[in-house]
Amino acid sequence: MTAPDETNDSQTVRNDAAPGHDIVSAVVRFCRDLRQRGMRVTPAESVDAARTLGHVDLGDREEVRLSLRAVLVSRREDFDLFDEVFASAWRAHEPAGAPIDRGMRTTIRRPPAPLAGAAPPVSLQGWMKAGTSVDENDPLQLRRASDRESLGERDFSAYSASDAAEFRRLARQIARRLALRKSRRWRVTRRGERLDLRRTVQASRRTGGDIVQLVRASRTIRRTRLVALCDVSGSMELYSRFLLQFLHALQNTFARIETFAFATRLSRITSQLRGVEYRDALRGLGREVRDWSGGTRIGASLREFVETHGDLVDRRTIVLIMSDGWDVGEPEVLSAVMRELSRRAGRVIWLNPLMGAPDFSPDTRGMRAALPHVDLMAPGHSLEALRSLARHLAL
Amino acid sequence: MNEDIRRIQDVMEREAYITDRQIATSVFLAIALGKPLLVEGHPGVGKTEIAKVLAGAQSADLIRLQCYEGLDAATALYEWNYPRQLLHIKLEEQSGASLAQKEASLFSEAFLLKRPLLAAITHKGTPPVLLIDEVDRSDEEFEAFLLEILSDFQVTIPELGTLKAETRPVVVLTSNRTRELSEALRRRCLYLWIDYPSFEKELRIVRSKVPGLSEQLAREVTALLQSLRRMRLAKLPGVAETLDWAAALVALHVDKLDETVVRETMGCFLKDDADFKVLDRELGEGHLAALTSVAI
Repeated sequence: MTAPDETNDSQTVRNDAAPGHDIVSAVVRFCRDLRQRGMRVTPAESVDAARTLGHVDLGDREEVRLSLRAVLVSRREDFDLFDEVFASAWRAHEPAGAPIDRGMRTTIRRPPAPLAGAAPPVSLQGWMKAGTSVDENDPLQLRRASDRESLGERDFSAYSASDAAEFRRLARQIARRLALRKSRRWRVTRRGERLDLRRTVQASRRTGGDIVQLVRASRTIRRTRLVALCDVSGSMELYSRFLLQFLHALQNTFARIETFAFATRLSRITSQLRGVEYRDALRGLGREVRDWSGGTRIGASLREFVETHGDLVDRRTIVLIMSDGWDVGEPEVLSAVMRELSRRAGRVIWLNPLMGAPDFSPDTRGMRAALPHVDLMAPGHSLEALRSLARHLAL
Repeated sequence: MNEDIRRIQDVMEREAYITDRQIATSVFLAIALGKPLLVEGHPGVGKTEIAKVLAGAQSADLIRLQCYEGLDAATALYEWNYPRQLLHIKLEEQSGASLAQKEASLFSEAFLLKRPLLAAITHKGTPPVLLIDEVDRSDEEFEAFLLEILSDFQVTIPELGTLKAETRPVVVLTSNRTRELSEALRRRCLYLWIDYPSFEKELRIVRSKVPGLSEQLAREVTALLQSLRRMRLAKLPGVAETLDWAAALVALHVDKLDETVVRETMGCFLKDDADFKVLDRELGEGHLAALTSVAI
């Protein structure tokens, strides 16, 4: 009880509500337990927690639980953890022989989590190429899909095909960010955000100095385009199918995106992805992309992109390259074309799924050649990685 | 149980809002501690309704700020009524008032267009209920601005000076989780998660909102919706959908659920083509009885 923040907490409280000293210290201890279990509880929140107890019926355990939870927890995901800590904290406080709390047990109900453990392990049945699956015989992979790891942290290689909803959600978020960037410029509009004084006065000169018309202006919306180039070569096998699914979702929520796939050659797949179910899209891709899961010639493929579709890239374009950087071509070619791309594009982002591995270093030949011309290299192995990518998708 | 919490529960039920302890406790604390209440949950579980019922129960005014993409401070706080100011200048041209007087009259509250947030701050009398609906749809910049307002309930208008709330409004924020709210905003608020109701609670809601429905039918309707929520659907139906469907069945004078009726009316609670197919298949396989029996 000598830690400075603890005494602080209790003093503030005593002026405010009227819980006794032992209750305050119990609350402070409880908050410390929560912190130890990894929940974030600020001192202000512990103060509120103690104030709360001045307002509720302390003999009613369910009421204490619900009110402390409202104050101390700020997202549904932490409910279970809170209930657990609460149960053990109050068990320690209860006099022997006290009735077991029934409310406690019944309310620890897992919320419907459509993507949690119940999801089937990697189903490769629907995938384009049957028989080449890497992880079908790998028991480790299968176990990963069903253990308690959170969805966001799970490696794509452990995903089920039916996680599409989560991809759609993420794609919507990204699309919204891209579509709504406001620039600092103002443009005259009928119902603008603010009055354009200069133009209003200017207009009034036409009417002899009397202001008849008010001119309003709004900020223009900055239009960003996205060009995605996805490596579908053999070494990317595990990841490219999921990255493509992500691109499929993005393609169907955001209008200004062009998608390409490459291994040794480049294929424009924008129209194959648009407007169809992902499975049908994959079937279309199988016909279109000839060298699916073959070797990689990143440099040559990108060269082809710059030569044939270079017009797509300008300063308002973000170029997103998804590849592990295993290039069998000449590094000079890749280096030159990356320089060209970074000169033209507003931003070049390289998503490398291998970056998720703890011992990763970008020392493949291709990666070394490309890195100087990349604005950002980010991991692309999990949903969490794609989520943090969303922050960088802005010009 | 605290008497106040019980009273809130009673009052909410009187306003035809079927509640439970969790909701009543959170609402009570929001009032007692004077903290904003952040309500999250699936669409259609009655998040917005909480604020409405709260306002009704306290006979307080409800001030609603609907958030949307691109909502900015001017639209949420205040704006000067320029046309009216111009008119005023014209009218004052002939008067003998001094420049200072004219200016003072020009920037008075009469020319201020109060948007929801300022309206809540300058509200007189019983503290109003301020509903900030679907806060997840606003941008992050607006969220930061909101945080500032919620912490001290005062605004500085350069021409007028600082306006401070005499009585703190009761603030309810709702979010559908289309975007993660900032940690700072979450910490400032009490948190309430409303899950889909249990069978018993939903049945009570159906009974109280759609009294025309027979007891048997109400049970079947509720059970079917409960079963649907356990299935893998693109868009899970909320309580609002249950009520829509129940009302539709009353209007159609249906007294017994069969495959045909469900097929014809499933547009009331399913809003996605793929989900139609799912239920259609279930019905085709003769699972209706299983779906409408009360699960334990």
